[in-house]
Amino acid sequence: MNAVKLPSRAGLVVVGGGVIGCSIAREASRYTPDIVVLEKESDVSCGTSKANNAEVHSGIGEDAGTLKQKLNVRGNQLYDGFVQGLGVELKRQGLLIVVTQRTVPAGGTSGLGEDERMDILTRKIPEGIIAYGENAGIKGLRALTREEVFRTEPNVTREAVAGVFDPTYGLISPYKLTIALAEHAVINGARVFTDTEVTGFRVEDGEVKAVITGRGEIATSLVVNAAGVFADDVADMAGAGGFVIHPRKGASLLFDRQVTAEYVHSSVAEFRMPGTRTTQSKGGGAMPTAEGNLQLGPTAIETGDKYDTSISAEEIEEIFERFHYLLPDFPRDALISAFSGVRAPTEEEDFVIGASEAVRGFVNVAGIQSPGLASAPAIAEMVLGILQDLGLPRDARGDFNPVRPAPPKFSELSHAERNRLIREDPRWGHVICRCETVTEKEVVNAIHGIVPATNMDAVKRRTRTGMGRCQGGFCHDRVAAILARELGIPITAVTKDGEGSPIFLGFAKDFLGGEAV
Amino acid sequence: MSGARKPQCVVVGAGPAGLGAALAAREAGLRDVMLVERDFELGGILPQCIHDGFGSMVFGQVLTGPQYAQRYIDRVEKAGVEVKLNTMVLEMAPDRRMTLVNSREGIYDIEPASIVLAMGCRERTRHQVMIPGYRPAGVICAGAAQRDINIDGLMPGRRVVILGSGDIGLIMARRFTLEGAEVEGVYELMDHPGGLTRNVVQCLHDYDIPLHLSHTVAFIHGRKRVEAVTVAAVDGNLKPIKESERLVPCDALVLSVGLIPENELSKQAGVELDPVTSGPVVDERMETSVEGIFACGNVVSVFDLVDWVTRTAETAGRAAAEYVLEGRKRGAVVRVNPGRNVKFVVPQVVGSLDRGADFYFRVEHPERAVRAMVLAGGGEVYSRKAKMVRPPEMVHAGIDAVAGSGKVLDVTVEVVEEEGGASKKKKRGRR
Repeated sequence: MNAVKLPSRAGLVVVGGGVIGCSIAREASRYTPDIVVLEKESDVSCGTSKANNAEVHSGIGEDAGTLKQKLNVRGNQLYDGFVQGLGVELKRQGLLIVVTQRTVPAGGTSGLGEDERMDILTRKIPEGIIAYGENAGIKGLRALTREEVFRTEPNVTREAVAGVFDPTYGLISPYKLTIALAEHAVINGARVFTDTEVTGFRVEDGEVKAVITGRGEIATSLVVNAAGVFADDVADMAGAGGFVIHPRKGASLLFDRQVTAEYVHSSVAEFRMPGTRTTQSKGGGAMPTAEGNLQLGPTAIETGDKYDTSISAEEIEEIFERFHYLLPDFPRDALISAFSGVRAPTEEEDFVIGASEAVRGFVNVAGIQSPGLASAPAIAEMVLGILQDLGLPRDARGDFNPVRPAPPKFSELSHAERNRLIREDPRWGHVICRCETVTEKEVVNAIHGIVPATNMDAVKRRTRTGMGRCQGGFCHDRVAAILARELGIPITAVTKDGEGSPIFLGFAKDFLGGEAV
Repeated sequence: MSGARKPQCVVVGAGPAGLGAALAAREAGLRDVMLVERDFELGGILPQCIHDGFGSMVFGQVLTGPQYAQRYIDRVEKAGVEVKLNTMVLEMAPDRRMTLVNSREGIYDIEPASIVLAMGCRERTRHQVMIPGYRPAGVICAGAAQRDINIDGLMPGRRVVILGSGDIGLIMARRFTLEGAEVEGVYELMDHPGGLTRNVVQCLHDYDIPLHLSHTVAFIHGRKRVEAVTVAAVDGNLKPIKESERLVPCDALVLSVGLIPENELSKQAGVELDPVTSGPVVDERMETSVEGIFACGNVVSVFDLVDWVTRTAETAGRAAAEYVLEGRKRGAVVRVNPGRNVKFVVPQVVGSLDRGADFYFRVEHPERAVRAMVLAGGGEVYSRKAKMVRPPEMVHAGIDAVAGSGKVLDVTVEVVEEEGGASKKKKRGRR
């Protein structure tokens, strides 16, 4: 797909075009334009970054003393500045932690009197959560009474007895953020190469000299390994490994925005007593997405397969069952999509960030699982420091452009603005995706964007075509036709998400010819 | 916005329902009828339905979809209906103010005196029936596949598994076969076909395509493009039976798992919806709960025959004209009760039967040798023998004018066993 020649050398090569790789590239571009990002998939944000719950956590769910918690708390605090100028919205909708009757069950084995039990539920647990959070540096936590819980979220279970509200929790579209970061880096001189798989490194005298790809070699003395679930494989290629990623799948359910827009306003999770966690997931939650759909999940299942983005019947059922208690009346029928992402945990369940001791110039940024999205700004800050110690320029550029212009979104504009755009270009008045009201011009803009969208999913992530309740039934052929026209390729070469995923298998007339079968 | 145009009637959607309603409104005397269509051509889904079977009731002839559509397109154009193609209704308010957009005129408001909703329906998707697995290219709804093949000449699959035996699924089984693709089989969750019997015979039997009843797709394999599906028999709770799982290699999964009326705009306008049909609650004039807003065709309830769609459209278009010209409004209404073996009835409410009415209903389970009945105010106003009723086939009961029906307090539509005159009378007597 991508026929552009790779450069023969670069000051910094970032392996992996996910939110971490693109964050680092964008931050580094404040100091140097001489950056290359390599991504083996057909677009940035194709791995873990595109399939998570879009939450900017506060850090309250992480274990004290971990690098994860430290970078999460710091990342959350940096976020507003981090997204400034990117044209991607961060919503600080907050997290409601609900304490319910079943948190400490009545009678039975606990041997607690009812007054004592209620005191634990309504006072001690909220106080404990708040103290834990404040100790980690999370500000603004407050205890809620039962009535305040319902006032905040009227749809939660009547079994709720108290709650804690964490106002720092945010939501951001992870793929829009990643695309914006990549584009901002490109605006400032970086180059992003998709469909480009790293196959090895040239290491001489314990120093990295070049990155080898399926499309040629790039000489460099600085490499960041931000390859997500493949970070261990990439590190091993350079002899800079020593950690193992064991892929863990997380599935989420997504509901029709029209039905669920006001169903929950914040992220909502049920508090569970420490030690009662049955999986490595923090437990997941119910939350709106950055764009207003209700989302439930995720699960946490060890998979062994780094490409396992399937979702099983058991997972779907598990999610429904898990949230049935917390949100008894949620609109199950409004399900429009279910997806899985693969997380990249290490054995230690903590981030692995640092310069390799074995290979000079090689920096691992690995084991980045949840809360990786929330930690991205702090991870980028930390990695930048490491890179500068290894030779990246320390002086900020005078010519850094602080703004990445976001292409206008028809559905978010006023009528006056829409009319102005339609007068400029009639394609602004031609609605292609009816469910999400996406116009032809937006599709064209995405295809010719700074990081171009070259397939259906890439267009979808940028414009929301096919993301609505009909899931592309009415618009897939139209988007495919626009892609073919704008890219100058036959429509049969249009793919869902890169090589091997054609939308159409041929023209009808060729099928009957015989040889096509 | 006093500058907004005020058409007498705006019809939203130019499929068979919209075409029929616009024509009827014009013929009933409205000068200023506007037909708004978001697609580039008139006809809705009909142009892609190149098989025959359309029009036997309306025209007494068996036509293809494009032929059926063209007859109405010609009449609509001749009648002087104002047609707006490539135009989408963005907003619709309870006071009937609408916001439209197209490339030529931009965004603008209109304030029609009446509205007919004719937006049709959309297909249920993979996740609405919760099919687990990967999300590769090659999972496609039957109607979308039909559009690809019949309009664009593009094949979305070479070796195809079809889930769902609704009419579109059956027709697409034949269509894929005729175009040189291989249809491995049609899988149906229920223990009976979802489509019309004639389609089971003409689309599957005639082409030796197997129909697997009480089966479903339990998993979709293939990371980039569909590589196979796991099919399984289902138990009494419609859950897949693990031991019966079988891997079927294929490169496309075509879904024909139901249609949902498209009522997003109706909701914006505050129109009451029926949870069973997912369409507006209408009276015998096809007026919705919002005064001056009428509805017809598949946006009200998914019909199996286009002829019924046209019938409802004519009723709605005429009623919209009467509303504008004569100020005829809905009076007090009574609910229509779905009686024995009736899942739902359209219309759901009745204001008056003094001009007669058409009732459309579906049964809950198949039954032989029955009688379809409409009872009003305790008396029988319609009764017809039927050899067989089945859930996929809409039953129509067209009743004549009932004098003095202004006092009707209770309407029931039901299907009763046909046991000979005596028992029939007894049943009626109980009412």
